[in-house]
Amino acid sequence: MSKYIIRRLIQAIPVLFGITIVVYAILLAAPGGPTARFANNPKFTEADREKFKKAWGLDQPIPVQYCRWMGICNPENEGLAVFIGSTGWPAFLPTSISGTTNGLLHGDLGVSIDTGEAVASRIARAALPTFILAGNALVIWILVALLIGVYAAIHRYSLFDQAATVFAYVGYAMPTFWLGIMLIFLFSGPGLNILPAGGMTETRLSPPFGSDTYWPYFAANPATAIVDIVKHLILPVFTLVVVNIAGDSRFIRSSMLEALGQDYVRTAKAKGLPVRVVIFKHALRNALLPVVTNIGLEIPFLFTGAIVTETIFSWPGIGRMTIEATRSFDYPTLMGLLLITSALVVLANLIADITYAIVDPRIKY
Amino acid sequence: MTPVQPGSEPDIVDLIRKEGAVDYEVGLESLNQWQLAWRRFRKHRLALVGLGILIFFIAVAIVGPVFMPFEFDVIPSPDKIVYQGRPPSLQHPFGETGGLQRDVLLLVINGARTSLFIGFSSMFIGVVVGTVVGSVAGYFGGLVDNVLMRIVDVMLSLPLLFVILVASRFFGNGNVVLIIIIFGLFSWMTISRLTRSLFLSIRELEFVQAARAVGLSDRRIIFRHILPNAMSPIIVSASLLIAANIIAEAFVSFLGFGVNPIYPTWGNILSNALTFIPLGNWWWPAFPGLAIIFTVLAVNFIGDGLRDALDPRSKE
Repeated sequence: MSKYIIRRLIQAIPVLFGITIVVYAILLAAPGGPTARFANNPKFTEADREKFKKAWGLDQPIPVQYCRWMGICNPENEGLAVFIGSTGWPAFLPTSISGTTNGLLHGDLGVSIDTGEAVASRIARAALPTFILAGNALVIWILVALLIGVYAAIHRYSLFDQAATVFAYVGYAMPTFWLGIMLIFLFSGPGLNILPAGGMTETRLSPPFGSDTYWPYFAANPATAIVDIVKHLILPVFTLVVVNIAGDSRFIRSSMLEALGQDYVRTAKAKGLPVRVVIFKHALRNALLPVVTNIGLEIPFLFTGAIVTETIFSWPGIGRMTIEATRSFDYPTLMGLLLITSALVVLANLIADITYAIVDPRIKY
Repeated sequence: MTPVQPGSEPDIVDLIRKEGAVDYEVGLESLNQWQLAWRRFRKHRLALVGLGILIFFIAVAIVGPVFMPFEFDVIPSPDKIVYQGRPPSLQHPFGETGGLQRDVLLLVINGARTSLFIGFSSMFIGVVVGTVVGSVAGYFGGLVDNVLMRIVDVMLSLPLLFVILVASRFFGNGNVVLIIIIFGLFSWMTISRLTRSLFLSIRELEFVQAARAVGLSDRRIIFRHILPNAMSPIIVSASLLIAANIIAEAFVSFLGFGVNPIYPTWGNILSNALTFIPLGNWWWPAFPGLAIIFTVLAVNFIGDGLRDALDPRSKE
């Protein structure tokens, strides 16, 4: 098993490497660029543009920029010497040997062109709000999808089952942003103004989430702070849950139906076991096998799926950061975000396969 | 019983010939594959409803803009200026948007044209690329297969929505054709995997071996012998691709990275709607959203119907 995990992790490296090349090429081959933000500024001369590009290393050819981003090239040197670190050893070696600190290989994701902050710390700061939003959505979504799917499978073709089918079709066809907008109208529009339309905290009462003053405020009155966040969570979480439940409840239903048709379920029934035991102990446990894998594969997409939800509800997370970075051509931030989400996809694939092997002892690697 | 004299009784062959000419002409109605598929498709009631809805939307998309053209630089002059727009009325059945007070019905009709066009044509690009890649990988196998499938692996490990968003912003330039190409180039992977797996099984069948023994070229075997037999599952997943691309286009355009607002789509006509929601303007986002939902539902129903019609073995 551990051999299998190690092999898979090693296989993941070229895939991730390929992803960084593809995306770097896409990003930097594009017309425009970070200097587009100065287009309407008459005081920004052509000389300033060149200076700006040089400062960010954007004047270099794309392969060189990629090489610097990876940490194979040393930006201090010119010509063939770019591959040599400040100590004379090749630049791609660890910092303690080569003296090079830039680039992914040395654990550095670069500096955001937008804010001048290190990309890693910027992402880390935005990760917590996204984690709060996606985590809550995930727990509720799995529980509700399980309830709907299992109940619909047990009472097949009942009114509930048919309603769940309709709901699944409509939920699948519904764009996330549309649901979000309509929810804002319903619950924070002029009619029923009971929930906040956006943000993570009430601006008049609390400092912004994640700012220096927030945690002292949180420590001083935790109850109000938590209630505040929960109030802001309800609409975005509901949006994510509804959109994601649609497919999963169907999947759980069909998986459960298949388990209920198995011989061992008939045997258990024939033995005279109570229905509850048959359903939950014999059928459900086996029905959950494919469900575990499926949900594991969906987790990374919660983060990208949150792009629209976070934008609509102005949630200060990774999704909104993605939009801001895309809007302003902030290459380092985009590359950092992309690398992390792709790594999540690869990791989720691996975890799904491993859990599958754990819950289903018939599978051997 | 008189012994039978050869030659005296009526010739049996003659008899059959004579009778056959009159009676035995059995009119067997022969149906080709597509007629059979259409028969099965007709039984799927929801698919028929979906087909009706889709045809309706396509008709609206073609005919509508002729009668209600959208002109970006013509600012409507409403009889009464209301900043947050006006709710549905007889004159404007879908209401008026906030700000410029454009007619929402007109936006939905003109949006149908671009949205459906993008959905169908990016599906077409995705299917062509996916089928070619999958056929080549599945038919030739070996190194070609390995390289192509590793590319597919990398593409599938990308957070696609994210990449499409970034690519549309960086390359799309608001141009409909570029957006279609971007969507097409990011939606072929599942089709190519499907095609490859179909090719792997079909290429081992006897008729392919026969074709090879006759000495046909690889191209002819791929396109004339294997591909027609792999078509059904590809058509089904292509239909689902239309729905996915329509939703994705709406998502990207809503965020302002997709199609230029000069060409209204169901996504970009909503990009300013969020500002007016707190003022109570629900009709602006509601109707374009319903148009998306109905179209996607219709396409998905058709996809289900096609699955039953073309691939009767793959029952749920």
